[in-house]
Amino acid sequence: MTTRFETEQKSGLLQRILTALPYVVLTISIVPIIIGFVWIIVATFSYRTQGILPINAQGKIGGLTLQNWTFLLDAKIWRVTFNSAMIALGMVVGVGFLSSLTGYALSRMNFRGRKTFLGMTLVLHAFRPELLLIAIFQVLLFIAGIPIAGKAFGFNTVGGVAIVMVSLELPLGIWLMKGFFDNISWDMERAALIDGASRFRVWWEIILPQIKPGIAALAIFNFISGWNAYLIPYTFTIGTKVSNLSVFLNQFSSDTSPMGWNQVAAVGLFQLIPILIFFIFTQEALLNIYGGGTKGGA
Amino acid sequence: MTPATLLVTVFFFVPALILFILSLTDLASSNFSEPWHFIGLLNYQRMFSDRFFPKILGNTIRYVTLTLIFFNVGLALLLALLTSYINRRAGFFFRMLWLLPRITPSVVYIVMWRRMVQQAPFGIINQFLGWFGLSQQPHLLNEHPWLFVILANGFVGASFGMLIFSSAIESIPKDLFTAAKVDGASTLQIIRDITLPMLRWPLLFVTSYQTLSLLVSFEYILLLTNGGPGLFTTEVWALTSYKRALSTYFGTNQWGYGAAWGLVLVVIAITASVIYLRVFRFDDLVQEPKIDVL
Amino acid sequence: MKVELTNLTKRWGDVVGAEGIDLSTKDGEFVAFLGPSGCGKTTTLLMIAGIYKPTVGEILFDDRVVNTVPPKDRNIGMVFQSYALYPHMTVFQNIGYPLKLQKVPKDELQKHVQRVADMMGIGHLMDRKPAQLSGGQQQRVALGRALIKEPQLLLFDEPLSNLDARLRLSMRSEIKRLQMDLGITSIYVTHDQIEAMTMADRVAVMKDGHLQAFAPPDELYDHPKTLFIAGFVGNPPMNFIEVEVKQENGSYQVLGPGIHLDLPADRGEKVARSSKVIMGIRPEDISLADTGVKGEVYLIEPLGRDDLLDVRIGETAVRVLADPALGVRMRDTVTLHFNTDTAQLFDPDTEQSLLW
Repeated sequence: MTTRFETEQKSGLLQRILTALPYVVLTISIVPIIIGFVWIIVATFSYRTQGILPINAQGKIGGLTLQNWTFLLDAKIWRVTFNSAMIALGMVVGVGFLSSLTGYALSRMNFRGRKTFLGMTLVLHAFRPELLLIAIFQVLLFIAGIPIAGKAFGFNTVGGVAIVMVSLELPLGIWLMKGFFDNISWDMERAALIDGASRFRVWWEIILPQIKPGIAALAIFNFISGWNAYLIPYTFTIGTKVSNLSVFLNQFSSDTSPMGWNQVAAVGLFQLIPILIFFIFTQEALLNIYGGGTKGGA
Repeated sequence: MTPATLLVTVFFFVPALILFILSLTDLASSNFSEPWHFIGLLNYQRMFSDRFFPKILGNTIRYVTLTLIFFNVGLALLLALLTSYINRRAGFFFRMLWLLPRITPSVVYIVMWRRMVQQAPFGIINQFLGWFGLSQQPHLLNEHPWLFVILANGFVGASFGMLIFSSAIESIPKDLFTAAKVDGASTLQIIRDITLPMLRWPLLFVTSYQTLSLLVSFEYILLLTNGGPGLFTTEVWALTSYKRALSTYFGTNQWGYGAAWGLVLVVIAITASVIYLRVFRFDDLVQEPKIDVL
Repeated sequence: MKVELTNLTKRWGDVVGAEGIDLSTKDGEFVAFLGPSGCGKTTTLLMIAGIYKPTVGEILFDDRVVNTVPPKDRNIGMVFQSYALYPHMTVFQNIGYPLKLQKVPKDELQKHVQRVADMMGIGHLMDRKPAQLSGGQQQRVALGRALIKEPQLLLFDEPLSNLDARLRLSMRSEIKRLQMDLGITSIYVTHDQIEAMTMADRVAVMKDGHLQAFAPPDELYDHPKTLFIAGFVGNPPMNFIEVEVKQENGSYQVLGPGIHLDLPADRGEKVARSSKVIMGIRPEDISLADTGVKGEVYLIEPLGRDDLLDVRIGETAVRVLADPALGVRMRDTVTLHFNTDTAQLFDPDTEQSLLW
């Protein structure tokens, strides 16, 4: 909608104000968020800040430093960063693989129980899983008791956090992927079957390449939610060995923590960087998935 | 297929069942090693007779309605209208900016807000107040906790509705606007008589979907105020459930009791999801496979 | 290879795709399935391809029941209306895909693909993606892909309907030529009666999931068994007029409002008992003459070689082909001669032919 609704005979000044008004309103509305980001960047490179200004020991503006970034030398930060990355990658691979297979089956194959499974996916994709944490806690305690799997996926393991997050994200992923598959031409799939491909090869060689943009969008979405995850890792882990960046950061951001605001800001920015890079390069895909994600992949 | 079924079963259905059973027991970390007992509906009785029950219920209603009206629907609609009205690229740019809060890690996002509200000279809002010559306030979060709980949630929540509404506006046939302009309608009349009526379903969808989301979400409140300041000032239902069961704030994890709180919400959520899937005819999106062979 | 369908039926719940299709082809025959959209012709084709499972009935390839044989083991090639090329593969990869699935060695595959592509006249486009090709070129790639594994049966699903008129004409003869040279049994689904009539050895006319007739094109044209076939086959379509047939002194006459015609005895005696009939007569069998039925010219559509006249005889409208040189104008009164030697007669209730 680039067309303006105004008719031309209105006076020039009024016209200009009416054109500028939306920009002004939009700019003002977003200011708090911009200020928040400005503060985090300024604070990261300052000894201390007052408001959004860096302040030196004399109380004047100034006093820039790189000292807040010394946390990078601490092995702990790399441990939790690694955990965050593992959770995010687990989400990307796990949700991506399982939901593209299941979504394909639901969209394109006839099998017993298809209707039931579809209905279940439908309800669950609208359902918010936070409520089940209490019970999942019990499930993870139970898994922890199983000899080998317990070490990898039980309570207080990175694997456990990842597998819980993958499961909770699955209904949405399946529903989205099903939507992507629904739009692929049936004739193309029929052609491949007649050419001599098995159903699995059709999925892998013919159909998947068609929905690459969809898979990429889902992967970005999953990476971001995995990387940002706080509630589930916080609930199901104890100690830095298995915690992730969010949990680690939150420990030090309380008012009573020995770590200063500026160091907290630095860790925060450190966590933000990959997200911002994604943000800059994949805006279109992000808008699609956050907007259409829960609408049913249509 | 099979692994997906397995995972969904283990982490959705089994938990839902466990939650139900738990809510009927006295299971808690204080007696974890001892055998636990079925105590029937005692947890529910305890919940409804809790001294803070009315307070928590009121908080939940206040949190959901205010955030919904002012941000998730109200502001979202305003943003969608404005970003559709202006130049296409500029509109896209503003929508992207509004997506930032949603993709920022919750912990980092809340750190920003905590810094915003601090007392002078550290707090950002107080600094701006000073620049404009206004009197500086004490720690704003303690003064107006609700304002900031709703702001923090609203800035995240508005983008969802904004995106749904803008794509709905964009899908309105351009001819309608042209026809209305030819008929001599002003911008406001066009919005009132054409755009808004066409947005009826998206509005209903966003309202119901976001009501459900807000009802069960508590991550930002947990991080910002943890239900405080003071006793239960900003504590909502979902947070109560979580804290009773999984945080040691009360000295012990009362899984059974927390589960009772949680189960009420689960029942509401499942009922609501089923109803709104019916209303929005999601099953129409389901087509029959056009290949019989496996 | 011979294809035989016995009582072939496909239903989805209450929806009928195809019902009780019985038909068998000869080896090397070119068969067209003709009918309006939704008549079940594509459904039947997809059952033959193995994409749909028949609800009832059997499909036999050379007397072997193939109902449960998966598509990949049926040794068939298929060309789709949408071409269904794989957009992420090059022309070379598209044509070679069936061989790649058969694990044919690389150099042999290379040779094969080149030979087929040259045959189709697209040998110079090997590295292009489908999106960079014209419609006609895409159709050739699709044809090449269907032919490369030397199938025993070729299936066509409206392959020409996405092409422009001129290209459709040349591809039509090309496909026909190719089929005759290779001698592969072919089934060709189309809603275009000209395509069916010009290309096929025999045409199966379908309506509402039922097979109406299965006969060579000239027989469909000269001896249509039902009102539907008569109206569907032939262009411009046949005129239908409600008339009465009367017998007087051993000769037969057709009577309608403003119409009075003689009917040849061989036709007349077959309908003697049913007086009310629907008479079908083709526009080319009506001509302008000095004596005959009078009517007013309502509309003239110049077709180039002929003019198509819409003539009103009272309430009845008939289409007539006339020589443009005659200079007929709108609202002129003309006199029409009906050639009743080729007139078709149908029972108005059953819509079956009273003649054949």
